[in-house]
Amino acid sequence: MPEALLSARGVSVRFGGLTAVNGVNLDVHTGELVGIIGPNGAGKTTFFHTLSGVLRPTEGRLIVAGDDLTGRAPHVYAAHGVARTFQTPRVFRDMTAADNVRFALEFAGRLRKHGHDAFDDVATILGFLGLAEVAMLPAGALTPARQRLLEIGVALGARPRVLLLDEVAAGLTHTEIDATAQLIRRVRDELGVAVIWIEHAVRVLMNTVERVAVLHQGAKIADGDPRAVAKEAAVIEAYLGEEGDSARVAA
Amino acid sequence: MSRSTLTRMRGVPRALTLTVVAGALLAVLPWLLSDFMLSLALSCLMFAALAVSWSMFCGPTHYLSLATSAFFGLGAYVTAWGLESMPYGLTVLAGGLVGAAFAALIGVAVLHLRGAYFAVITFGLTELVLHSITYVEKTMFETAGRIISDAPENAVIYWTVLGITVLAVATAILVRASRLGFALAGIGGDEERAQTLGVNARRAKVLAFSLSAFFPGALGAAMAVRWTYIEPMSVFNPFIGFQTVLIAMVGGAQTLLGPIVSSVFFSLLTEFLRLRFPYAFLLVLGILLVVLVLYLPGGLASLFVRRARPHA
Repeated sequence: MPEALLSARGVSVRFGGLTAVNGVNLDVHTGELVGIIGPNGAGKTTFFHTLSGVLRPTEGRLIVAGDDLTGRAPHVYAAHGVARTFQTPRVFRDMTAADNVRFALEFAGRLRKHGHDAFDDVATILGFLGLAEVAMLPAGALTPARQRLLEIGVALGARPRVLLLDEVAAGLTHTEIDATAQLIRRVRDELGVAVIWIEHAVRVLMNTVERVAVLHQGAKIADGDPRAVAKEAAVIEAYLGEEGDSARVAA
Repeated sequence: MSRSTLTRMRGVPRALTLTVVAGALLAVLPWLLSDFMLSLALSCLMFAALAVSWSMFCGPTHYLSLATSAFFGLGAYVTAWGLESMPYGLTVLAGGLVGAAFAALIGVAVLHLRGAYFAVITFGLTELVLHSITYVEKTMFETAGRIISDAPENAVIYWTVLGITVLAVATAILVRASRLGFALAGIGGDEERAQTLGVNARRAKVLAFSLSAFFPGALGAAMAVRWTYIEPMSVFNPFIGFQTVLIAMVGGAQTLLGPIVSSVFFSLLTEFLRLRFPYAFLLVLGILLVVLVLYLPGGLASLFVRRARPHA
């Protein structure tokens, strides 16, 4: 196995007495498409915050492309090729959609010149996401669904090696969710980047990813092939059981 | 030069040319105006430069700095201390550099604060500098204030302040078009998001804050010679800082022209009110501010900026 592109080693996050993330280990390699699922409050987003440098873990280390970035500022993670989206789109509302993508290209994107040039200009990225016709509109004026797409576009502008997607399909219709899942696969295939995807819409995620990690009460309780993971007793009890119908999820 | 750089540089040569031409036209005023009118023009220019440099950093980032008086006062003291051993022009440059250096220093310490906390701490720091200088003057030099002898002529002061103003406007134009300006806009929109997109927010903020403090420092040094007697209470006058914020916000700190227009408007209005209503003029200014902030939060410039953005 080659060295992991992104490696979380024993990452814990505690807020006062509450342990949000508890000793999670996760290695992600180039080209992998990994899903992270877990019930509400399982610590998925908090874990993402540590992976992107937004939150410093209480314990544990984060290694990106061989460099230990634990405790470094988010822009250092960006310079190492970690790009992310936020659950609630955090686009620059006063800037146009085009300027949002340009911003990412101008900073994180410029720091990272590498071989993949499939998405290295504003028009290509917006076109790929179907946002070409709203390029000159202020991002704050876009519909929530389009802001979510723009979040992905901004992350692509950062020219990532690891793309972290936090519930990019939340609030979308079934058709839109399927389209987003296809889009994520295409990004992975065309850029060859690693993608880590958190999603509440478990069905689509399970069908799209090749590997899934399950977080429960801050700890990782399963990690592997989605079909195998869906059958694990601990997972069914902790997560799928809670949703009631495991057959629907595994379908 | 990348395509995005070209997009951002559009209009910059024209704006710079206009600035220089306007500066050249204003340079003839000492030959045309009376002493009173020239001092009024000087006041307009000074507040234009203060408001433009304040907006350079505080406009895009939405910080509220009340430290302008500190930079201005430090600059004034550079002249008070240095004018005997240095030519006037050099004290102005030194005043600017001291202002910038002080801003970098406090920037590193307090730029992580936001909103009211930042405003309060910059105001507090101004007081701290005021009292530090008072202390140093009293204990080391046994003086409460300093008399400035051989001050340059009014026209020389005017041209110096005009030069600083042109430089401030030109710098503001270039910063807006630069990567630094783009980074500041992102920081103002969502600082953490900007960081996750590769912006070293701390560095960008300290750099811009320091750059924007050069101008009040230089202006303080240039204007100090207008007073024959310099004391901390007068040059660290918090009114200068408040007036700057007021002018920039009323003009529209997001724009370039807003603060310039508003500084002329306010300087003339202040002078008019001071002459007409010597006791009530601050009251009238205050009411005007309240009305403007309540009904025109985007500043006067927002009246002229088209609401609708161009559609693709």
